[in-house]
Order: sequence, then structure tokens, then C-alpha cells
Amino acid sequence: MHDVIRATRAQPVHLVVLALIAVVLLIGINTSDRFATPLNFANVQDQIVALAIVSLAQTIVILSGGIDLSYAGALSLLSVVFAAIAGDSAGTLALALLAVLVLGALIGLVNGMVVAYVGVHPLITTLGTSTILAGAALLITRRPSGSVPLLFEDFTYGRLGVMPFCMMIVIGLYLLAGFMLWRTRLGTRIYAVGDNEQAAAVSGLPVRRTKVAVYALSGLLCSLAAAYMAGRFGVGDPRAGVGFDLKSITPVIVGGTLLAGGKGGVLGTALAVILLALLANVLNFLNVSSFYQWIAEGLIIIAAVSLLVGKGRS
Amino acid sequence: MVQPVLAARSLSKNFGPNEVLQGIEFEIFSGRAVALCGENGAGKSTLIKLLTGLYAPSAGHVEFMGEKVVWSDPRQSLAAGIAVVHQEFSVLGALTVAENIFLGDEPLTRFGLIDRRRLTCNARVRLDNLGITLSPDALVETLSVADKQMVEIAKALRSEDEKVLILDEPTAVLSQNETTHLFRIIAGLREQGIGLIYVSHRLDEIFEICTDITVIKDGVVTTSGPIGGYTHDSVVSAMVGREMGELFPPKAAVGAAGTVVLKVEDLVVAPGVPSASLSVREGEIVGLAGLVGSGRTELARAIYGADPSSGTVTLFGEPMPWRSPSGCIDAGMLMLTESRKDDGLFMETSVARNFTATTPGHGAHPAAVPPGHEERRAVLLKERMGVAVDHVGLPISALSGGNQQKVLIARLLENRPKLLILDEPTRGVDMGAKAEIYRTLRHLAAEGMALLVISSELIEVVGLCDRVYVMRDGEIATELTGETITEERIMTVAAAETATHRGGTHHA
Repeated sequence: MHDVIRATRAQPVHLVVLALIAVVLLIGINTSDRFATPLNFANVQDQIVALAIVSLAQTIVILSGGIDLSYAGALSLLSVVFAAIAGDSAGTLALALLAVLVLGALIGLVNGMVVAYVGVHPLITTLGTSTILAGAALLITRRPSGSVPLLFEDFTYGRLGVMPFCMMIVIGLYLLAGFMLWRTRLGTRIYAVGDNEQAAAVSGLPVRRTKVAVYALSGLLCSLAAAYMAGRFGVGDPRAGVGFDLKSITPVIVGGTLLAGGKGGVLGTALAVILLALLANVLNFLNVSSFYQWIAEGLIIIAAVSLLVGKGRS
Repeated sequence: MVQPVLAARSLSKNFGPNEVLQGIEFEIFSGRAVALCGENGAGKSTLIKLLTGLYAPSAGHVEFMGEKVVWSDPRQSLAAGIAVVHQEFSVLGALTVAENIFLGDEPLTRFGLIDRRRLTCNARVRLDNLGITLSPDALVETLSVADKQMVEIAKALRSEDEKVLILDEPTAVLSQNETTHLFRIIAGLREQGIGLIYVSHRLDEIFEICTDITVIKDGVVTTSGPIGGYTHDSVVSAMVGREMGELFPPKAAVGAAGTVVLKVEDLVVAPGVPSASLSVREGEIVGLAGLVGSGRTELARAIYGADPSSGTVTLFGEPMPWRSPSGCIDAGMLMLTESRKDDGLFMETSVARNFTATTPGHGAHPAAVPPGHEERRAVLLKERMGVAVDHVGLPISALSGGNQQKVLIARLLENRPKLLILDEPTRGVDMGAKAEIYRTLRHLAAEGMALLVISSELIEVVGLCDRVYVMRDGEIATELTGETITEERIMTVAAAETATHRGGTHHA
């Protein structure tokens, strides 16, 4: 039991998130007959995929004491590039996947190098790269363009029973990330660097290389999300990533990961992604304007952080 | 001639214009323990950072096993077999004891994954060998300060082939029993042929376990040799560079203190912490002594209203039911916090503005402070406090620690306080500035001010204070006056063994 708690980094706050999920489910069931149906749950999962991947990336970055705001520009550019190359055959699709994976990793590497070796604050670095990438995306195309092969579009819409294929991939990614954080040296280093960089350095850990690895990983995950988005839209949208920079942070914080780094994990992020998606879904059924959804999301963030801060003080 | 394991050869280090170390010669031999002594700010920590590659020397070099080495990273010195127990804890709260001990050197399985079982197992063996009773699975943030120190030591000694072990003030947070235990460990290490550098302020300890001694003062080695050739007094005068009498002004005559200014009764800082009562009189310097973590700062902050507490605080006979820092300032009680960089100074702002920050309008119309007014006022700094600064428009970060501290004290005095609480007033301050600060404080007391001084430096408590409260585990353990204020008495009380909670020990 002790090992399970350590491995999943379960925290008391996760019970709160679980309880909130239960409350939202109850409200949903009482609101509409169409809520608790396989079709609706599959829809909710479709809503989750892109954000879940990007938030997973953000969780790892934040755990290491950094932050990655480059997703807005990176997602836009990567999905444009993907749709520009993917064409209509399996061959071009493979090429496109390879291209965005390399480009995504490269974006992450640059972020990581500037943060770790030049010493620019990650907030500034990634805000800068995000702006550059957003500009580059719009230079390539002003409006949604390109195409993806039908087989890939079908894949992004495909389901096995009630679960979309891509949701299975997301679950796989979360399990992999959790395993990485628990059982690899990189994982321990990420926590150590995020907890106390100075202490990690005097303990002989490669602080800089750890940071570079974290941002590279973040870029890689970002390219997966970009490919998924292009597949769903059928084209590459040069504004696909808008808003994802801040949206990616919400589940991390609500899931109990410390913004300062060193504490938290992917389980909390997963639960928070589910909570936020269900909440949006239920508010839709209640015919609440999406602007109220923003307000609700904002309140949840502040409430979550207040809860964590309050706990730290006692 | 036996070759030293590790040596500094005319090692120097500058930070900008500040020469922190100059031409240091220092040798460590296998199986011997050398004490590194010096006042705070003398350059001991800098020397250790140079020896381990955390800083690069400005001149000179480090020699390891007779060969010149250039370490640009602590990882290289670690790999060579130089282990350091740092004064600031390098243990990580979010990780377990086992994870901390083997951080960066975790046992791996065949597939390159961390072998959790062996990690725990190896940690237990290491802890057992050192006689430390802690669970490898306990989270470090749940441990007491002393236990964290033990984890730090276990971490430094995780490999079998260490050649040099550097201990930077390892006993500062340990109780008597734990210290005795540590000494047994150290004796064992020496027999194994490890060379030790032992940094400590506690002279008794040094004479007990060290074979050699090197004293640093103001960045140069003042004396060095086998410890047999030294006495307590000769070490102190080498460290201080002057007699005690020159450093501290004479104390107030017994019974000279006036009426009670501050009276604290049954103050409870946090649930479960014993209550504290104390008083400070006019014209008196009262010390608050104790080990780090004994609750001195917490008590002072509660009196000042910076943290909530229950109990009564009476100032000039007036009870203060609602305490807040601003209320205390209005009533004439001011506090100098222990961290001037975090809580006191605006580092990139001018000396003049730092000085006038809390009283911007003094002597001018409050709505419009005329240009040059701050600068004119700041000239007083030089006259009254002897702050050495060419131009008061310079950012305060350009001043030495001692001068920064003088500016802070001068700023407090601008509020015309009647009671001053000073938390570590001479931390990171050189000897000359220390003497000046002591003179200033004594002068203020002679003028009728009441002073409460928190200090971790025993010499300071003994030399400066008229009366001393010694704290231990959050409570005031004893009160000493006059002739009874000695380093030995304070340490005996402060470090006495009590039923300290040892968090994490009982975890499964």
C-alpha cells in the first residue's frame, strides 16, 4: 500500500477531485437522460485527448521547477506542418509524423537549452518561442490548409466500444510518464531539480541536462497532440494552439502539483482533466453559456490553490 | 614527507571587488582531521566551495593526490571521492530517506530502471552501519532537523571509497547525544584512512576530535598546525584578531536597568508549543539564545505580531490585544529580521532610499519630498553609523554585508524606537563592523532603549547581553544574568537532551 501511494504520488487533494467528479456526475445524471449514455461519455473523451496530452507535458515541466508556455505557438505550427506534409497516402502520413516529432523535439531542445544554459527564465523563454512559432505558422498559411489521409482522420474518430482509440494512447502515455517518474533516474532527477535546484547541484545531479530533457519531452508530446488535432480537423489550423498555453496549466494545478515544482504527479493531472471535461459537458447540458464555464474554471483554479496553500500552513 | 590527499595552493577568490580569499595554503592528510576555524564571513564556506569545484578560483589551484586538478563541477570532486555534509541542507523534502541517500547514484536493474527494493535495502544497510535509526521509506520533509542532518551525513558517505569528508557545522542542530554519536562515526572514518575537514564554532568539539587546525580571518590563514600547540584562548584570538574586551564595550552596571518596557506572559506561538514569558527593561540588552530551530525567531515574530499567537504582551504597561507589525511600530517597538536580503533591503535601490524607505517624509513636506532630500538625510549615515560608502546614490548591493546591516539599523532608528528586537544582528558581518554594531547597540541601551537580541553566536550573547533567556524546543529553559552568562552554561541548557519528537522513525 505504501509503495502504491509513493509510486502514484497520491495526495489527499486527489480525494477532493474525485469527490467533485462524483458531484458533477450526479448533477449530470439528474440534468439530462442523454448525459449518462455511452455516446456522451465517448464525446467527453474526445474533448479530453488533446488537453490531456499537453497537460501531461506541462506536469513534467512544472515538476522540474519550470513552465512551458510554448504550446500555443508550437501546436499551431506543428499541426500546419503536419497537414502540409501528410497528403493522402500512408507514406506521406509516416513522413509527416516523423517530421512533427523531430520538429517538436527540436522546439523543446531549444527551449531547454535557453533555460538551462543561457539561464533565461522559462516563462520568458517559452513565451518568446511561442510567439515566434505562432508567427511562423501564420507565415506558412493564413487560413486552415493542407490535408490528412482519410485513414488517419478515421483513426482519430475511431472507437473501440465506448473508448476512442486515441484515449487508449493517452492512458498509455500517462502510465509511461508515471513509470518514468517512479522508476528511472530521470524521474528522480526531475523531482530533485524541481524541489531544490541548488541541493540537486551539490548532490552531483546533471541539473542542466535534466532540464533540457524535460523540455524536449514536452515538445515531443506536443507534436503528438498537434497531429491528433490536425487529424480531427482534417486540415492544419494556424491558430490551433491558441489558448493551450494557459489551459494546459489548469489541470496540473487543480491536480495538486506544486507550481514551484518538486511535488505532485501525473495522477492528479489525469483526474483534473476528467473533472474539467465533465464539468464543461454538464454545463452544456444545463445550457449554461460557455463564458460561465470560463468563470467556473477560474474559480476552481483559485479554490484548488487555496486548498493547497491552506494545507501547507497548518 | 607524506603527500596530502587534498590541498589548496595559494588559492584566491574575488567576487567583483571583494577579495574573499587570498593566497590560502591548506592541506588535508589521510587519517587526520583538520579543524577549519574562523568567524562568520571569514571565508570558510568559500574555501570549501573552491575545494569541491562549486566555485572556480580567481588564482591558485587545488591539488588532489599530488596532482593539480581543475574541477568545474561538484560532480567531478564527488566522483574523485570528496564528500561534503553541507551546512545548508542538500536533502530534498519531497523524496524519501532512501531516495535522498542515493540521489544520482540509484541502484539499477538489468534494464536500467531504478531497483526500488535494493534502494531501500542499501539505504537500510547504510543507516545501520552508521547507527542511525530512521526508516528508509520516511519522507524527509516529515523529519526533525537533527534527523535531516543524519540523512545528510548518510548521503555523503554512501560510497565505500571516500577519501575526504568535509563537515560544515555538522553539530549546529544536533543534541548532545547525537553529537557524541557523530563523533564515534568520525573516529571510525579516520581509522579507515579518510581525511576530514571539520568546520565548527564549538572549540570543545574541535579539541576533542581534530588532529590539526587552520584558522582563517578576513580571507587569509592566520595560523595553522597540529592542534597540540593551541589552547582555546589562542584559537579565539587568532579567529577574532583582537581580545574580547576590544570587541565588546563594557556592560551596564548591575541594577542599572530601568522600568519594564516589554512584558510577555504565557505567549503560545502554535498549538502544542509550551508558553513563554519574558520581560525587557529600559537600558538593558537581553539575549535570546538557543540552537537553530529552538523557536527564538518564532517567539520574536509572535511578540512583534508578524505571526498569530495567544497570550498577553504589555508594552509600557499597556496591553496590546491586537498585535500587528504596524501597531508595534506605532507603539515604538521595531524588529530587525534575520534575513536582510529577503525581509529588509531593496537590493537594487540606492543606499539613500534604503535608508529613508520607512520614513520618506522626515523633515520635508510629506506630499512632496524635494529632490536631494533623501541624499542629504543619508549623509547622516556616515556620521552616526560610520557606513563606509563613497556615494549614497549607489545601489545597496554594492556595500559589504556589515555596511548593509548598519544601514538597516540606522533606518530602524529613524523611527525613534523605544524597544528594538534584533534577530541575528551581525550575521555575515566582518569583525570591524561587528565591533561598531556592538558599540552602537550598547550606546542605544545607555540612552535608555530596551533591546532584545537573538543570536546563534555564543561569543556575542556572552559579550553583549546583560541578561539571557536560553530556549530549547520552543520553550524558555532558563534565564541567566551577570556572571552566570557563560558559553558553557548556555550550551549545557540549549543542547540538553529532551524528548524531541523524531518524526519518521516509526513509519512502517
